[in-house]
Amino acid sequence: MKIRKLGKRLTALLLTALLLAAVLPGCGFGGGSDVEAEREADTVLGSGSRVLRIISGSENKELEPIIEEFADEEGVRIEMTYQGSLDIMRLLEEDEIPYDAVWPASSLWLSVGDTGHRIKHAESVSVTPVVFGIRMSLAEELGFTGREVSVNDLLSAIRDGKLKFCMTSATQSNSGASAYIGFLYALLGNPEVITSEDLQDEELKTQIRELLSGVDRSSGSSDWLKDMFLEGDYDAMVNYECLIIQANEQLEARGEEPLYTVYPYDGLSLADSPLGYVDNGDDGIEELFLEFQEYLLSGETQNEIQRTGRRSGYTGINEENRDVFREDWGVQPDRILSPIKMPEADVLLECLNLYQTDFKKPSLNVYCLDYSSSMSGEGNEQLVEAMEQLLIQENAEKNFLQASENEINILIPFNGEVIGVYRAEGSGSELEELYDVVKDQRVGGGTDMYAAATEGLHLLAGYDLSRYTPAIILLTDGQSGGYFQDFEDAYEALGEEVPVFSIMFGDADEYQLEELAEYTNARVFDGRENLTEAFRSVKGYN
Amino acid sequence: MKTKLIGLGLLAAVVIAAVIYAAVGRSRAVTEINGYVGGEKIGFLEDQEVREIIKDRYDLTIDYSKAGSIDMLTADPEGRSFLFPSNSTALELYEQMNGDPVKSEIIFNTPIVLYTRSAVAEALIAEGIASEQDGVRHVDMEKLTEYIEAGKTWAEIGIPELYGSITVGTTDPTKSNSGNMFAGLLANTLSGGVAGAEDLPEILPRLQAIFTKLGYMESSSSDLFDQFLKTGMGAKPLIAGYESQLLEFAAENPDTWEQIKGDIVMLYPTPTVWSSHVYIALDEAGTAGIDALLDEDVQRLAWEKHGFRTGLYDAPADVEHFGVPGLAKEITQVAPMPGAGVMEEIIKALQ
Repeated sequence: MKIRKLGKRLTALLLTALLLAAVLPGCGFGGGSDVEAEREADTVLGSGSRVLRIISGSENKELEPIIEEFADEEGVRIEMTYQGSLDIMRLLEEDEIPYDAVWPASSLWLSVGDTGHRIKHAESVSVTPVVFGIRMSLAEELGFTGREVSVNDLLSAIRDGKLKFCMTSATQSNSGASAYIGFLYALLGNPEVITSEDLQDEELKTQIRELLSGVDRSSGSSDWLKDMFLEGDYDAMVNYECLIIQANEQLEARGEEPLYTVYPYDGLSLADSPLGYVDNGDDGIEELFLEFQEYLLSGETQNEIQRTGRRSGYTGINEENRDVFREDWGVQPDRILSPIKMPEADVLLECLNLYQTDFKKPSLNVYCLDYSSSMSGEGNEQLVEAMEQLLIQENAEKNFLQASENEINILIPFNGEVIGVYRAEGSGSELEELYDVVKDQRVGGGTDMYAAATEGLHLLAGYDLSRYTPAIILLTDGQSGGYFQDFEDAYEALGEEVPVFSIMFGDADEYQLEELAEYTNARVFDGRENLTEAFRSVKGYN
Repeated sequence: MKTKLIGLGLLAAVVIAAVIYAAVGRSRAVTEINGYVGGEKIGFLEDQEVREIIKDRYDLTIDYSKAGSIDMLTADPEGRSFLFPSNSTALELYEQMNGDPVKSEIIFNTPIVLYTRSAVAEALIAEGIASEQDGVRHVDMEKLTEYIEAGKTWAEIGIPELYGSITVGTTDPTKSNSGNMFAGLLANTLSGGVAGAEDLPEILPRLQAIFTKLGYMESSSSDLFDQFLKTGMGAKPLIAGYESQLLEFAAENPDTWEQIKGDIVMLYPTPTVWSSHVYIALDEAGTAGIDALLDEDVQRLAWEKHGFRTGLYDAPADVEHFGVPGLAKEITQVAPMPGAGVMEEIIKALQ
């Protein structure tokens, strides 16, 4: 009897203790703040009740095994969401940041974006320069091996049509932005810094357009640019030294010619990979963040990071890692990396706007949008909403996705067949009229995405594609009828590499979409979680 | 058996009660205050020893958001009990904007220094811009400024590996303190004494020219210093910072410091300026921070682990334990910063 009574009291006490533990801050294990994550993480590493949500540049995908080691050892869950550094910058300007840590490619974007002072403990994890990787034999032919190369040397090869290259979009990704600023700087004759007046110079405008016309393919992310490069047949890419090294490791494994690394001495920039904590006021998460950061900065992990081709630590490349930074690939482990000075924030943003609206090679987008009966209701509403973000320029501008003056947008609504073809040139009213079409188009009928994509290819045949960056952007929500073969025939007849990016929605058949993506060296975006986000990402690739 | 069980139960109950009592007791007694702090003091405020002393003796925890010393004056004060900028000009500006604060006090000081790598230091010495005396290196600000204004390149002073012209990397003087103080130091140099209002017409355009050359500037001294150490000599050949930054780094990372100390050089400008870390209480709760930070042991830790000079301005300090070559025992050549009015004009001109 007595025991029972005591037991009851004990239970009551225990309950109180538990309740208190839950109420007292810092005692519970916080599973993220109250803010609902906007989208699901791209990769989840480890498992456990303690969660650290990181938004990171795509180049850190290569560090996942190192991150996973920590997650497993500590029994925690690390959620990685990959976005371009410029997206991360824009995120920092939002009222709510639904992540615990940010890890962009360069601290530049942290300082420009973090006007609300919400980032704590930011420290550089490793450093890598933005360089040109050029096919070895071509680099030799151009005379770029074994000597110092200036941006102007590269420019004249591009002007003479001897060098075409791939780079990420300057308004979406740090490596593209860095390279682009390097170009501007060299074209202006290497001033101390770029000023707003400099950007009005007509000669500069002509030259930078000419230079960017040498861009073969673009991408919204550096890591995917590397993957795309490895799948395609290209001469060169602008990317991080560490990703050139990784591309070379794969090229060599396949018995193919590696890339030679060129460091333009008067247009170099560095990515210093800062990892910072987003102060949403949860001590438990802050502690976990600091543990994670300490792990990354520890001598042992820094060495592991160095083995992925990043320059880490304070004392240069270790003897034992010299085999990664191979000098026969043109990599210069002992080079003193002397970067250009970035323009001040206002000028920088002006440079980016000009890139998007004027300087970059104009896009030629063919939107094939599914209006089959299964899209009716919410599906169609989401589609209209997403397209509003791209076509209404006031919205597009917020994400540096606005159209340029010479851009062409074609809309092909489809169901079991092509419903119609609508074109808009430039960034003015025609484009906004396309939005009316998107909005007013009725839903009904079956699904044949191949018919729509094939129609797109036929239309593209009417353009001089060397003047544009063409892409087909396909949204579908169901199993498609029709035949891949028809598409393949039209593709071969066109004889140009046009990527078909697709957005998976509803019950779309992933296999069908992957097949298209693989065939055209493109990729599939998942629109099921957030369609607007998916459209934004895909537009960032073109 | 029965009694044994009861005994165990009682024991458990007592333990749990004690835990709860302690938890409730603690959470009630300790006050948490929040404010804006310059990045260079974060290591100090995060120091467990410091936090524990402050918690045990003053029932206080000090939480913060990082902000530049100038930025914090205009940042949203909602929920903030104090500002902890890094110069007394910030206090003067605060007083101009808001009148007297609830309370304010200088907590510690550190001089503005330049950091560079040994190859650059050697070139500067060979050029007569820097010199060495009793193991301490000094930089002749007048001569350095001459070179910067003339647009001389690194290659011209014998370092062709470095791209571009000679500059001193600083934080944004309109946002952060070390950059702001370096601007004050340059203003003094250009005026040939402490810059006054009468010097402004002559020096403002020159200051603008010097800072325009820097392009994009970091807004925090700690970020700039982290980049100086990690991105290497090419990216940041010469930067302005606080003496405390290197001392703290050496104290916190003795192994790393051992590896790199041969390459990192501290240069004392002659004359330099003091960065006075002044604590401004915005409300009654904030005043508790002053007593806590002036605690004898907190002050000792501030010097020994974080490199802030405490006590009297020019008292010689024990410098041996840092193992930092070229650390001056005392800072003798110091000029006052230009007055708040002049600094305000300078900030405006550099905006």
